Amino acid sequence: MAMSLEEVEAAIIAKANKSPKPQLYIKDFYKCDSERKPREIKNIANKLVTKGELMFWSSGSTTMYARPDRIKNEEGDSGVN
Amino acid sequence: MPKHDTPMLDELEKGPWPSFVSDLKRQAETHDECWDILGQMEMSYRDKITHWKHGGIVGVFGYGGGIVGRYSDMPKEFPGVEHFHTVRVAQPSGMYYSTKNLRDLMDLWGKYGSGMTNFHGSTGDLIFLGCRTEALEPLFWDLTHDLKQDLGGSGSNLRTPSCCLGESRCEWSCYDTQDICYALTMHYQDEVHRPAFPYKFKFKFSGCANDCVAAIARSDFAVIGTWKDDIQMDQAAVKEYMAGNYPSNAGAHADGDWGAFDIQKEVIDLCPTECMWMEGDELKIDNSECTRCMHCINVMPRALRPGKEKGATICIGAKAPILDGAQFATLVIPFAKVSKDNNYENIIDYIELIWDWWMEVGKNRERVGETIQRIGLPTFLSVMEVDPIPQHVREPRSNPYIFWKEEEVPGGWERDVDEFRRKHAA
Ligand code: HEM
Ligand code: HEM
Ligand code: SF4
Ligand code: SF4
Repeated sequence: MAMSLEEVEAAIIAKANKSPKPQLYIKDFYKCDSERKPREIKNIANKLVTKGELMFWSSGSTTMYARPDRIKNEEGDSGVN
Repeated sequence: MPKHDTPMLDELEKGPWPSFVSDLKRQAETHDECWDILGQMEMSYRDKITHWKHGGIVGVFGYGGGIVGRYSDMPKEFPGVEHFHTVRVAQPSGMYYSTKNLRDLMDLWGKYGSGMTNFHGSTGDLIFLGCRTEALEPLFWDLTHDLKQDLGGSGSNLRTPSCCLGESRCEWSCYDTQDICYALTMHYQDEVHRPAFPYKFKFKFSGCANDCVAAIARSDFAVIGTWKDDIQMDQAAVKEYMAGNYPSNAGAHADGDWGAFDIQKEVIDLCPTECMWMEGDELKIDNSECTRCMHCINVMPRALRPGKEKGATICIGAKAPILDGAQFATLVIPFAKVSKDNNYENIIDYIELIWDWWMEVGKNRERVGETIQRIGLPTFLSVMEVDPIPQHVREPRSNPYIFWKEEEVPGGWERDVDEFRRKHAA
């Protein structure tokens, strides 16, 4: 059975809630619905950002996703971008 | 008044060359935070360690890129650089600015940030260095509403496409670099402004193999102008060069004394594929062996020109040294038409074949060039639906095995077992 959009969104949020580190790569969400192409999963995750369910966390060169309530500090790390 | 002692940085003002330290001091007269840049840098020079942190969650509403968070890890000592975010502003195609536009950009940036800039970053954008978090939204509003300019890409976005100035000024351009750069920037707005991939992805467009935007070294998808037919040649002009009547390289090296022009030494012997020779006083080229490197054309622009059937070569997978050593892009598509008549659909098809594959099999933080290296060019060529040609082969094979695909084997993998057992009873 193909997953509905709502089910995929819920799976992505659940994954972002229980991951060991708060920041996840886009690839970490692919398995939330392995029938959808990676670019569809990306679009769903980006839509969740506009809804405020996820937020972007960027190192400068890579962008990750996180649940807003799991991110305490606005800053990143030392190192290169 | 200097806020910090900077004896080591002051040394950098003593040479005959322009000094960024003097520039920073001058800027500090109106933007106090520039003293703290100097102070923090002096400390880094002394301790031999950076005091910048980067990344995090800063951005502007609706965008997932264009701003790179940057912070001081010594905010008490250097409050002016507590926040010092980088803002990437998409550059105009071919980097054409009017002086009015430059003044407007500087007025805007002087109002909201440090006034420090970088024209341009290696991605191609115009960079504003040093914005506080709370100034980001107002800056973005004025930039987009008053100046009608946009942010560029950062993070896992498609990075701001960039191009050489192409047909606007250069007779060698084999396609309209500025037009495709603009068209694809508009086509991929979502990918430029929001993360789209496991890592960054860059397009760059050069009109010929001189590659003035260094596409082959800096982009995942390098579109480099070339031609299919013969180099256009004017034998009378060749003779003028040989007689010393026309300056070689259009006079670009005329300030040194290189002696009389020697076509054998300066052109024929330097042709990388050794496909040129003289027959009497006629220059000959075996065009089937020419790699379209541009060397002979650069030396004798009045005698030689690119051919008439123009297009581009697409090379894929350049990257900087961060993970696995630097590498140039690899030739994948030897010749593609680049024309606004089909809205660049053939180019877009290539791009999307790459993205679908790379998003699936690429690892986190792996540039597509590294994915190709890991999985192998033969697989990538089949993903791109191109047949291998000799130019795809870098060296003789070192692996003796051949892995056939099912469709390449007569009858495929299916065997009639009963038929087999009739001949091989045991
Ligand atoms: C040890 C210190 C640093 C290292 C090793 C470093 C390294 C790099 C590298 C490798 C890139 C290229 C990323 C790419 O592939 O696009 C880059 C880009 C950049 N860095 Fe740094 N960086 C350092 C410090 C800084 C600092 C202190 C600043 C500003 C305060 C800065 C501002 C930038 C900017 C604006 C870019 C983007 C330029 C562009 O768009 O191409 N960097 N840095
Ligand atoms: C599809 C069938 C087979 C495959 C793919 C295969 C593959 C290989 C490979 C890869 C090696 C190692 C070669 C090396 O690097 O030195 C090898 C060695 C060997 N194979 Fe096979 N083999 C097959 C069938 C057979 C059969 C049917 C026999 C005997 C009846 C056999 C006898 C041997 C022997 C004796 C060696 C060792 C040679 C030595 O001393 O270096 N193989 N085989
Ligand atoms: S890359 Fe070629 S076409 Fe473009 S500006 Fe340079 S020389 Fe001219
Ligand atoms: S373009 Fe380069 S390869 Fe071709 S003939 Fe001229 S020098 Fe030789």
